[in-house]
Amino acid sequence: MNFSFSDDQVLLKNSVRALLDEHCKPEHVRAMMDDKTGYGEPLWGEMAKLGWLGLPFPEQYGGAGLGLVELALIHEEMGRAAYPGPFLASVVLGGFPILLGGSAAQKEKWLPAIASGRARLSAALQEDRLDCDPAGITTTAARAGDGWALTGVKRFVPWAHVADALLVPARGPEGLSLFLVDPKGAGAALKPVTGMDLTTRWSELRLDGARVGADALVGGAGGGGAILESTLRRAAVCASAEMLGAARRSLDMAVGYAKVREQFGQLIGTFQAIRHKCAEMLMEVENSHSAVYYAAWALEAGAEDAAIAASICKSYVSESARKVCGEAIQVHGGIGFTWEYDLHLYFKRAKSLEVQFGDAEYHRELIARHVSSAS
Amino acid sequence: MDLNYSPEDVAYRKQVRTWLERNLPFSPPRTLEERKVWHRKLYEGGFLGMGWPKEYGGQGARPMEQAIVADEMAHAAAPAPTNGLGLGIVGPTIVVHGNEWQKKRYLRKILTAEEMWCQLYSEPNSGSDLASLKTSAEDKGDHFMVNGQKIWTSGGKVADWGLLLARTDPKVPKHKGITCFLMSMRQPGVEVRPLKQITGSAEFCEVFMTNARVEKENQIGKLGEGWAIANTTLGYERGGRSLARISGYAAQYHRLVGAAKKLMRNGRPLMESPTVRQRLGKIWADLEVERYNALRVLTQLEKGEHPGAGGSLTKLSYSEFEKRFMEVAQEILGPYGQLTDGAPAELALEIDTAVGEMGTWAYGFLWSRAGTIYAGSSEIQKNVIGERILGLPKESRADRGGAR
Repeated sequence: MNFSFSDDQVLLKNSVRALLDEHCKPEHVRAMMDDKTGYGEPLWGEMAKLGWLGLPFPEQYGGAGLGLVELALIHEEMGRAAYPGPFLASVVLGGFPILLGGSAAQKEKWLPAIASGRARLSAALQEDRLDCDPAGITTTAARAGDGWALTGVKRFVPWAHVADALLVPARGPEGLSLFLVDPKGAGAALKPVTGMDLTTRWSELRLDGARVGADALVGGAGGGGAILESTLRRAAVCASAEMLGAARRSLDMAVGYAKVREQFGQLIGTFQAIRHKCAEMLMEVENSHSAVYYAAWALEAGAEDAAIAASICKSYVSESARKVCGEAIQVHGGIGFTWEYDLHLYFKRAKSLEVQFGDAEYHRELIARHVSSAS
Repeated sequence: MDLNYSPEDVAYRKQVRTWLERNLPFSPPRTLEERKVWHRKLYEGGFLGMGWPKEYGGQGARPMEQAIVADEMAHAAAPAPTNGLGLGIVGPTIVVHGNEWQKKRYLRKILTAEEMWCQLYSEPNSGSDLASLKTSAEDKGDHFMVNGQKIWTSGGKVADWGLLLARTDPKVPKHKGITCFLMSMRQPGVEVRPLKQITGSAEFCEVFMTNARVEKENQIGKLGEGWAIANTTLGYERGGRSLARISGYAAQYHRLVGAAKKLMRNGRPLMESPTVRQRLGKIWADLEVERYNALRVLTQLEKGEHPGAGGSLTKLSYSEFEKRFMEVAQEILGPYGQLTDGAPAELALEIDTAVGEMGTWAYGFLWSRAGTIYAGSSEIQKNVIGERILGLPKESRADRGGAR
């Protein structure tokens, strides 16, 4: 039993931080907020070179063959830097379904492309009803020639505007299936929407009888549910890691500020109102750390409680990160409310991830189902 | 990172489980004497003083083995040993700070419950500000003479000995004039009065010392070092029974879910109410997070690292959790949760309170108010976290000078 990082994991974390400290300063983040694509190709290429984009894939597909703990470490650092780009979308939402359910040909085609940064993928998981449960998906897949015709509306598809392919769950005669869809292909229409977190991009995807070939099916007809659930759990944990990073950065800024800001002739950090707030924030951050890395380990190790650990993680961190990032603004006072100050980058990042891959309420219901059958 | 238990730990857990299955008392011990019998059985089984050196009757076991024993006892709803303060606070203090004679003289008798112990720290005017304590110990040449009053003394009524903090030098700054002693409770100068708490029971006592006597051989550490010793002692109190505590909560939680399935509201079981499901889901998430935290602490202890101020985070987190948990339990159980007697079996809670009476949901609820006060209140923990972990500046305080 060892709940601490290995030397290699610490090295990885440090190298990720070093690179992002240099290439993903707040100036970069802000520049990307105004950028059409929303992310920078040079940094993307650098991440490919360092093996981050293929981190969880086997070496035969150009990956690094590492696990979810390492992937969570990277995401935590990205949250800390408010990294703008399709990393989670491409590696997790795109990569895992293919890794978990793809054919040999699909793996050959897509995994090395994702790992090298040549291709970017994402997944269209939400619909109008915002039900995260795969059982609630209404987009349809009808047989059409050798392939399929997909019809439905997907909401909040992350980074779809720069994606080469989207994983799209749709309901066919055999049940829920997953398809690889070209978002620029015939019958598909993308409409970007603008959220308050400008470092994350979402689009609406309309599929109107969009045709895909037989080779677009990932995991067999009717085999989409299990792949989707596994992917959602991994995405939930990686998103939680990002929220954790955002929260820790916010806490660091709050503590740093409390050590230099004077009011009433004293450093504000001497006031218990501030000190206790910071202590509570640290408690939330450390608890979130426990939740994230326990779940990452459990999923990687295939532990008995892996699925429930993912729900515990997402429900816990969604709320605690929002709280910590918000309290950091409170500690700063007026300056924390300004556009120029960086706190809002992390506050908004945490907020946008809070509602993805199941919010706290959704995951708490999953937990309730679990304990109700176990008690 | 590997959160699987090692094959040795799994085997050890099995061994402990088997022992407990064979040796658990048929009916839970109620009286102190019954509890002492169970205590000695645990000692003979090799399950007490797990972390203490073998030459003084301990087991010289790893922190993980220690945690496994406590955890299995919680799983089996085994009654706690008696002499909790002796095992949890006094023994470890003597192991770390005592001299050879003191270790030989006292440790084994804690383990056998031949001598019962209490802790004489808090005073009526020295709660969170413990270092302001006024009980004095005056050097009388061959012994110290103790005068003053202590309060919140758990188990004071049955204790033979007390671990005492007293002021030996009133002229130096308050943290520097305190010394640690072992004091006999069985002497004319010591009077113990039970203190009834909001639970209705009296685990606590007030202790009055009038010219009480402490032999020179019973001074722990050097003169004036008592504050430092007390701080490591509080560390034991904070580090302690990490996993077992969580397993105890989990057993209570499952009983609560069982009750939520039986109780009806608006024509359907409470367990089908979305708000109840949300609350119970949140409590389980929080409870599991506490378990993960316990595994992190255990990892540290296994590496021989002391959690230090990190113990304040652990304590703050679980004691606040316990309050939230018990509040949700009360919301679900309604008036049943308030019964101290007469609850239907399926809605009752039987937890071992280690003081010779059986717990109820009402007891658990009331007792949860103690966790955020004892061993340093949540506010004190937040001060420690702020100063010692986050490095926030110290507040300006009026008491940096000498103690009066």
